[in-house]
Amino acid sequence: MSARRYPGISPDERTGFTPYSAFDVPQDLREFGGRYDVEAMARRVRNFRYAEEWSMMTMAGWIATVPEVPVKTGLGKIVWEAAQAADALGKRLPELRAGRNLQVASESPNQGFADFVHAVAAPEEPEETIEKIAGMFGVLKPHLLAVYEENARHTDQITDAPTIELLEDIARRTRRHIAWGEEVLDHLCDTDAKRERRRRREAELRALLAQSGGVTGEGA
Amino acid sequence: MKRFLQHHELARDSRFIRQNAITDAMAQLPDDVDTVVQAFENLDPLIAAGVKGGPLEPLYEAYGPGFGLTILNEPLRPDEPFSELRLRVRMHGIFMGELQALEGAGRTLWDFPDAPWEFKMNMARQCWDEARHVQIFEKLLDHCGGQVGEFPENTFLFEAACADDPVLRVAGVNRALEGLACDVFRDMINYAEKKGDEVMRQAVDYVLADELTHVRFGSEWVREFTRDDPQRFEAAKAFQRQVDKRFSVGGTRSGRTDAVIPIAVQDRREAGFSAEEIEELYEISAEGPSRATLRKAAEILRQRHLARRAGESAA
Repeated sequence: MSARRYPGISPDERTGFTPYSAFDVPQDLREFGGRYDVEAMARRVRNFRYAEEWSMMTMAGWIATVPEVPVKTGLGKIVWEAAQAADALGKRLPELRAGRNLQVASESPNQGFADFVHAVAAPEEPEETIEKIAGMFGVLKPHLLAVYEENARHTDQITDAPTIELLEDIARRTRRHIAWGEEVLDHLCDTDAKRERRRRREAELRALLAQSGGVTGEGA
Repeated sequence: MKRFLQHHELARDSRFIRQNAITDAMAQLPDDVDTVVQAFENLDPLIAAGVKGGPLEPLYEAYGPGFGLTILNEPLRPDEPFSELRLRVRMHGIFMGELQALEGAGRTLWDFPDAPWEFKMNMARQCWDEARHVQIFEKLLDHCGGQVGEFPENTFLFEAACADDPVLRVAGVNRALEGLACDVFRDMINYAEKKGDEVMRQAVDYVLADELTHVRFGSEWVREFTRDDPQRFEAAKAFQRQVDKRFSVGGTRSGRTDAVIPIAVQDRREAGFSAEEIEELYEISAEGPSRATLRKAAEILRQRHLARRAGESAA
């Protein structure tokens, strides 16, 4: 008679297969112990979505106000990628028991961060491309990238793996956006006076960002 | 950043110049030779000043102030006089239209922060598509020997994207203008095929595919925004009709057998236009002057111009 392939109720009805942990093959050294529980992560995802949604709308509004054609077209692509990031974050929320209504899925951690986001969006004149790009790509996006990376590192590697995958994907694109913004700024800031404008703008916004506690409200 | 930007506030670099008066006049013309001639005689000083020293000056010198009728009213054929120049004029017009479509989709995202999320996703996607179209037509312009800024820009596409109700924007831009784009791009593909220009044919073919998607966005959102609101639906329809009429450029794009740019019925059906809507478009676009009227007017304008030039040299 052949060995049992399916277990029965009594000990002599067990199969003969060698026992393995779920993490043995391939070997998985991850351990439990994330910094955020489900509720805390859902709140953070709403905060991230707020930042992505508003950055998307801000860049979209700027397209008509910047005279440089390559900046217009570059922003057009990044608008779509920010929308996809906000969409993916919104779709993670019901998986974190935080509702399905995407209309209310974005939430600023506090008024200070909302004010910071509106300060980033404030420049509207055609002469202000440096201020626009410096705020978005020199301050907001680098801050988001740092927080996404930190969250992906410190959330539970096993239980919250879908959030990690999501943040890693958004971070990958955000790195590319920052590199694009850096290139645009390097090109536009071709005099000391323009470089000073960029430096001043970034310093002003960094101060506002620090006051607000950043995208999660817990410290920039 | 403020909301609801006006067309004169669109940011441009120093290569661009703007001229709306001529296209505005073209859109209002009736099917009457004398009126068309008079309209262009009135615009002559403006047209002459606008073309002076630029690539259109040879056309002005050859045809007089009605050269635009020749550019717009005769089909593009590779072997006809000035066909390369006329192709560049059309290509440049499309490039400007794509740029304004990018700006319009972007402003719709900024102007309506409380719009439904799926609507925002569609507009964001449109931003990327239009950005690619700007890049494609800049490359095609170069491919045809042209360059950005060599012809004046008119902003009447963006004007259709300034309404304060999102349903009017999608009715005007996505249904009327992107619908027009379907007609123009199908005509460009036909031209590229005749010329054996595979680069142009393939590039414009991809753009046309995107435009069908944008028309579908429009069809879906007009339906969604006006659900249970017949008054708003009628307002959207009226606005779309108004834009369609304006963009038929005096019958140049129409369903008439002598149309320079025929209505791309098959593409429009694929994009979600009903048979009734296409029929209505035939009626709207047939209201402008016929090709025979415009040809006759163009010939009178040309002769008067040449007579004036002969008089000037005699004096």
